[in-house]
Amino acid sequence: MTTVTCAQLDDLLFDGSPLAMETAARHAEHCDACAEKLADWNEIAATAQSMRATWENDLLWPRIERAIRAERRKSPRWLWQVAAAIVLVVGLGATMFYALRNQTRDAAFDRDILRISALDEVERAERSHIAAIDKLENLAEPKLDEAATPLMVSYKEKLMLLDDAIAECETLIEQNRQNAHLRRQLLAMYSEKRQTLQDVVREDPNAATP
Amino acid sequence: MLQSAMTTTMIPATAPSGSEDRRLAAACAEGDSRVFEEIYRRFGDRMKSIAWNHLGNASDAEDAVQETFLKIHRAATTYTGEASFSTWAYRILVNTCYDLLRRRRRRIEEAPIDDVVETAERTAPSVDDAKRMTLRKLLNELPEQRRTVFTLFEIEGLSHAEIGQILGISEGNSKWILFATKKELQEKWKRSQ
Repeated sequence: MTTVTCAQLDDLLFDGSPLAMETAARHAEHCDACAEKLADWNEIAATAQSMRATWENDLLWPRIERAIRAERRKSPRWLWQVAAAIVLVVGLGATMFYALRNQTRDAAFDRDILRISALDEVERAERSHIAAIDKLENLAEPKLDEAATPLMVSYKEKLMLLDDAIAECETLIEQNRQNAHLRRQLLAMYSEKRQTLQDVVREDPNAATP
Repeated sequence: MLQSAMTTTMIPATAPSGSEDRRLAAACAEGDSRVFEEIYRRFGDRMKSIAWNHLGNASDAEDAVQETFLKIHRAATTYTGEASFSTWAYRILVNTCYDLLRRRRRRIEEAPIDDVVETAERTAPSVDDAKRMTLRKLLNELPEQRRTVFTLFEIEGLSHAEIGQILGISEGNSKWILFATKKELQEKWKRSQ
């Protein structure tokens, strides 16, 4: 009747169905080694079945109920509070960020505009002086070349000094075009040279030396 | 008072499925206290037993059950109905037990599971406490998944289909894991006797 071998016992245990276990039991009746294995197997199963734990705790359900109720009460309000706080912080942060950025940008823009505009004004004045100086030099040159009077010689020396000073100042300005002090100094020199040249042009070569 | 029983459980392994399960889930999402109580009355004992057999003491088991109910409340809207509501709840419970085990490993080591079992009152005269303690000790040495498969099948009487859904494995895999676990336990059992 029993057709299974010892090697097939594991297959029957793996199957685990009532029929398989019955077949294993029949085989074990004639095989001590398999009987021992099967006995351990069944003992483990029986022990496990006795390990289901049951106990009464009348306080557990009320505790769970309270926890759920607390969670239900707390969750939406808590979520709303967190959401509102996040929106507020993000909103304030973004507003401050944009305000500061705009302020910084405006200030920088104003600074740039003022600087550019002042620089343009100075350079326009310089160009105006240079143009006037060029014209005056053309007019004054013959007189200066023929400087016969002490006054004309003095003008000539003054103009040479001014040219040296202007050249030096222009060199310094090349290194730092934003230097207002040098710019003012250069303008003053141009103005002085222009005035000196005008004086030279106005000077009557035939006029008697006082 | 802790008790164990040789008889199979009176609680059905799974709840009625389909629309009934979806009704439970919807009511849980709304926080309906009566439905939670219904779930507790229907599945609470099994949940406590599963938790006890994972965590080893009633206090931690009750904490796990409470935490599971809170998680059910939070996640009820995500219940799809693929598994029965009870299977879904047991899955949450098992994962909660894993979390608690990891979090409380040190505490459990300080209060060995054998001590808890020793002080517990049992009413299973056919199998002595020494065997239960031996088996429990051997189960504690197993990896989480193996222990859970063994616990759910041999102790709680769940089917391999249900265990597969709880652990996210196939039915066949659950069967194989149980067989391999029992073979391992058999070897150790023999040596411990």
